[in-house]
Amino acid sequence: MKTRREFIQGLILSVGGAATLSACGDNAPAVTATAPHNPGRFYSGDEMALVSRVSDLIIPRTETPGALDVNVAGYLDGLMSDWASAETQRAHRAALARLRADLDSAVGVPFERAAQDAAEEALAELDARAFEIDQSMDGYRRFKGWITQAYFATEGGAVQELKWVALPGRWDPSVDITPA
Amino acid sequence: MADFDAIVVGSGMSGGMSAKELTERGLKVLVLERGPEIIPERDYTDNLTPWEKPNLDSVAQDEIAEHYPRQYGGVAYAIKESTKHFWVKDSEHPYEEAEGTTYDWLRGYHTAGRSIMWSRQTYRLSDLDFGANAREGHAIDWPIRYADIEPWYNKVETFVGISGSAEGLPHLPDSVFQPAFELTDAEKALKASVESSFPERNVIPARIAHLTDATEEQKSLGRSNCQVRNHCHQGCSFKAYFSSLNATLPAAERTGNLTMVHNAIVESIEYDAASNRVSGVRVIDAETNEKRTYTAKVIFLNASTIASAMILLQSKSETFPNGLANHSDQVGRNLMDHVSGANATGYLSGFDNKTTFGRRPSGGIYIPRYANLNGQDKPYRRGFGFQGGATSVGNAGGQIPGIGRAFKEAHRLPSAWRIGIGAFGEQLSNPDNRVTLHPSKRDKWGNPLALFNVKYGENEYKMLEEASKDAVAMLEAAGCTQITATPVNLTKPGNRIHEMGSARMGRDRETSVLNGWCQAHDVPNLFITDGSFMTSAACQNPSLTYMAFSARAANYAADLIEQGVI
Repeated sequence: MKTRREFIQGLILSVGGAATLSACGDNAPAVTATAPHNPGRFYSGDEMALVSRVSDLIIPRTETPGALDVNVAGYLDGLMSDWASAETQRAHRAALARLRADLDSAVGVPFERAAQDAAEEALAELDARAFEIDQSMDGYRRFKGWITQAYFATEGGAVQELKWVALPGRWDPSVDITPA
Repeated sequence: MADFDAIVVGSGMSGGMSAKELTERGLKVLVLERGPEIIPERDYTDNLTPWEKPNLDSVAQDEIAEHYPRQYGGVAYAIKESTKHFWVKDSEHPYEEAEGTTYDWLRGYHTAGRSIMWSRQTYRLSDLDFGANAREGHAIDWPIRYADIEPWYNKVETFVGISGSAEGLPHLPDSVFQPAFELTDAEKALKASVESSFPERNVIPARIAHLTDATEEQKSLGRSNCQVRNHCHQGCSFKAYFSSLNATLPAAERTGNLTMVHNAIVESIEYDAASNRVSGVRVIDAETNEKRTYTAKVIFLNASTIASAMILLQSKSETFPNGLANHSDQVGRNLMDHVSGANATGYLSGFDNKTTFGRRPSGGIYIPRYANLNGQDKPYRRGFGFQGGATSVGNAGGQIPGIGRAFKEAHRLPSAWRIGIGAFGEQLSNPDNRVTLHPSKRDKWGNPLALFNVKYGENEYKMLEEASKDAVAMLEAAGCTQITATPVNLTKPGNRIHEMGSARMGRDRETSVLNGWCQAHDVPNLFITDGSFMTSAACQNPSLTYMAFSARAANYAADLIEQGVI
């Protein structure tokens, strides 16, 4: 039997992620691979800033890389440029505009300038509304889905956070985990 | 002097087995494949990591709309940027549907056909199935019974490699098994509850064509055990799951008796009325449009249920003005598939401190048919099996509430276990459900387009409604919470990709195309061993049965050649 902590650490070691983990503590400075205010191929500078900020709040750096570390905003910029149809692009752009308006209104200043606590609180409230009440916020939910899927499709997200193993080699249907 | 002893049209599930058996009997065999060659080292993408597949591995939306609207609509889960080359482009391979009907013709044209993309669920039929039409007086009787095919199931399974568990169920005979993928704890709990509450029902590990204890024969073909990656839609560099390309075609090739030609689209089969024999296959080169004819002593049609019927219908002669071997007028009729659309999910508590290791391929559990086993005791005929599994919810693709650390970690840490089951039901044969040649529309090689006219009958609708209720009842018995059963919505005909019946076998040449050896009643050196021969559909995934009948027919044909009969 393994503890939850041992289980996670064991998986990290098995995929060679320990070195990265030790270099990525809670207090390490964030790395922004895509400059938040530079336009991308699809996003404007303002949109890139919003996508970067929101993705960081949804998937922050913890013991493992966060959305900023793995450049989720850049990933989504490519997704919108290379995968999305014109209709999807328009809908996403409109969803971002509404998201910005809602968040600006919630914090009383441009969202990117809001203090961390205020930004977290505003986004958490909006997120709860999107999942429990307001069906009109499907654009946000879809955006959140892309952020999450993009994050876990990166090496940092897949290997370090999700403990994805390329070659499991065996099937164990029952792994016990107990709280540490 | 014929060019070859035998020509096999199609290199997929059944064609590969036909070629293997014929070449191993010492016959010189030509396999014609209408699509391009798949080279695993070049075309399998199973070794790509998630971060080597940009854009979430999704095919661009505009590209789907232009080239894959029907294929993607049918199997979106399987068509990714890394796998789209295994599926036909609808823009290049169109088909038509009769007014008021709809059909999913989902397929790939390349070496090994759909055996590369199948879901690998593998079950035997039993005498419950082979005797069903006769018992009910429906359609026509199968000309064989389980005892006729049992040794061929044994032979094929030993070669293919099936993981599963011996259960001793007479209506779902055991295969030659390699070790099963063990059930998860939640699945074991479901099994205990269901089998206690419904003694006639069983919850067993899915039987799938994955190696878990490779034999020396399998290793000699370069195959090894499943690595539990669940990358099967991208091919398998370990050759752990069965496909023609991973197993039967290499086995045929090593005999030295196999010739394989790609990009060879069959236009027609040539028939010699004087000898009452087919003599050759006329093909069009897919790339150059050059036409040529290959000759052989015997011809095996393994082009798939739809394509084989179309080839027969295209092969008209003075003797067979309605299509080759179509004296019975049954070619293209009785088109069947399996029917789904009754699903239920629920959550099981008590397993929050359990997780799994490895990504189990294909299905987790199978609930074999339990309806009408001993006479007619349900308000519908025949029956259905359930496929499904129980997994920790885990990575929900962002569709759970919350932000920050808790949200991030929720995708990794053990959580609620969700059970999902979905029915696969038997579709009754109906001669009005058919594929014909479109009277005017042709593809870019000049062959007529397929025109489908298929509808479900009352029995399929009634059966799926009952299946939905049964699914909920089993999840309730297991103590599931948040049980959800979506309204019954039957899958499109063809969507299960189990086409069957377009050249059914039977005892009478007036009512069937093939005899019990998959041999055309009308033409002794013509065999059809893809799903066309199926007289009824049963509810089990049929690929194993195609292969068993292919092996049996191939050896019978080889006997006839040795005896100088054909």
